[in-house]
Amino acid sequence: MRAPALACLLLLLGAAAPGFAQQRDVRIDISSGQGRRIRVHCESLAAAGDKNAHETSVQADEVLAGDLETSAVFTVTRSWASGEQPFDVQAVVGGKWTANGNQIKLSGEVRDFPARRPILVKDYRGAARDWRSIVHQFADDIVLQFTGEPGVAQTRIAFVTQSGREKELCVMDVDGAGLTQLTRDRSIALSPAWSPDGSLVLFTSYRGGHGPQIFVNAAAGGRAYLVSGRPGLNTSASYSPDGRQVVCTLSQDGNPEIYLLDARGGSPRRLTDNRAIDTSPCWSPTGQEIAFTSDRSGNPQVYVMDREGGNVRRLTYEVDYTDSPAWSPKGDRIALVSRTGSGFDIYVCRADGTGARPVVTGKSNENPRWSPDGRHLVFASNRDGDYALYVTDLDDRPPRKLSTGGRTVLSPAWSPRPASTRSAFNLNPGQ
Amino acid sequence: MKQPMPSRMGFLALAICAALVGSCVKKPQVPPPTEAVPPPQPAAQPPAPAPRDTTPVPTPPRLSSSDFEPAFFDFDSYTLRADARQALDHDAKLLRDNADAGVVIEGHCDERGTAEYNQALGEKRAQAARDYLVAAGIPASRFEVVSYGKERPFDPGHDESAWQKNRRAHILLK
Repeated sequence: MRAPALACLLLLLGAAAPGFAQQRDVRIDISSGQGRRIRVHCESLAAAGDKNAHETSVQADEVLAGDLETSAVFTVTRSWASGEQPFDVQAVVGGKWTANGNQIKLSGEVRDFPARRPILVKDYRGAARDWRSIVHQFADDIVLQFTGEPGVAQTRIAFVTQSGREKELCVMDVDGAGLTQLTRDRSIALSPAWSPDGSLVLFTSYRGGHGPQIFVNAAAGGRAYLVSGRPGLNTSASYSPDGRQVVCTLSQDGNPEIYLLDARGGSPRRLTDNRAIDTSPCWSPTGQEIAFTSDRSGNPQVYVMDREGGNVRRLTYEVDYTDSPAWSPKGDRIALVSRTGSGFDIYVCRADGTGARPVVTGKSNENPRWSPDGRHLVFASNRDGDYALYVTDLDDRPPRKLSTGGRTVLSPAWSPRPASTRSAFNLNPGQ
Repeated sequence: MKQPMPSRMGFLALAICAALVGSCVKKPQVPPPTEAVPPPQPAAQPPAPAPRDTTPVPTPPRLSSSDFEPAFFDFDSYTLRADARQALDHDAKLLRDNADAGVVIEGHCDERGTAEYNQALGEKRAQAARDYLVAAGIPASRFEVVSYGKERPFDPGHDESAWQKNRRAHILLK
């Protein structure tokens, strides 16, 4: 059984849900239980095994504490940081780190405090080269233990890097490690979007020399395959939540309109029919509705339609000139951008368009995309100079800059959690 | 066809075939006659130079992409302004005078707005220019439309002077 202190905490967490928060502060109202963080104290992992064990365990300590801190669930103190004592903490996190040659074993432990009764005790094993992933698994399990839902430490971010006139597609771990450049086309790559199983990244590229076309690349690397290269625009593509369809913008019939394709890019079916611009489609998490941008009323606004293209309605009247919709993974909220004098602010509203509130303002803040747990938004911003990636936890804390090695980066997309199953898609064109 | 042809033509075909397929071919095979390459014609002698005309004949200057005038647009608009129609009238004349020229119409935008919206906006601008030229009698088949959105600004500045230069439909020779 869990300690009474923990049960108390879980009650508190539940109390931070919409109804309670609404009376107090509308900013917390639609950010699903944010604003109260659980205090935990990280103790150094006890190193054992070969001569490298101590060195890697020290790195593992930092990665684990960083994962817990950035989860937005915990406030973390560190036993190895001077002056950080386990004062008023709910739990202590620690365990044993055993390194033997190519193998790592993490015996993770979370105990309540001060009684130190076990809350979570679990072993993780893997290849030494995957040590970060082993730590991330433990961090995600700790978040699961305290919130009922795993964390997102094992997720990745796709984005584009800009160098002069060229933009290339990259992916990296959500903590900035493992940055991999997927394209080397010396062309323009834009608008990455993950497949629901996290194995593939759809993107727009001019690499074919015939204007913007839609390609797909395995997130692990390899070559890109053409998905749609029809005359005119082929842009803004994303997989449906079941992975069976792609929604995108085409202009093959003479005007930028939204189309559904099958997962390989065939059988186009037009959803919008309007002389205006229709673009930037985004799925609701059930796949039943699609939010998109249209200038049918003069300037860009976000609209919502059902997946057949019917029942079109403007999302919100509370903000003007809106674009870049992103539907939250639980379906309750939509993030979008609204134009300002200097660029864009990021807003979040309820899925019915009410309750719009600014969540990131100042300079330009673009392309908001949800984390799979809906606790964070990643976005591109020039708030500190060149465009870089930032994460907001949708609370009063300032956005956190993601490390991308000083590159100018844009257009982030947050991966789903890792799937244990292999991709349902086959990139081999010979089959 | 498996049997080698003992003719000169057969050997030639064999050599060409081997050269084409390279090391993939383990056993040289002669392709069927339909694929055989005809023997090369004797190289044509260059024609004797014509007697030089002493008076220079004025040749029409070759059409270049820089001869076309771009059509500029207002912010977040793909409506052709009067100055844009004037520029396209000039371009239509060039296209009529050079009936064999195929062109790409590029649509461009200023840096404001999202990348995705600007791609669509640039497409609409290029389409507006194309539609005007088609209405002026230029066959639609001579045009290819490509939107670069805000990805290829002509002026990298961040003020209205730069933005106005970047909001354009722009004709290039293929």
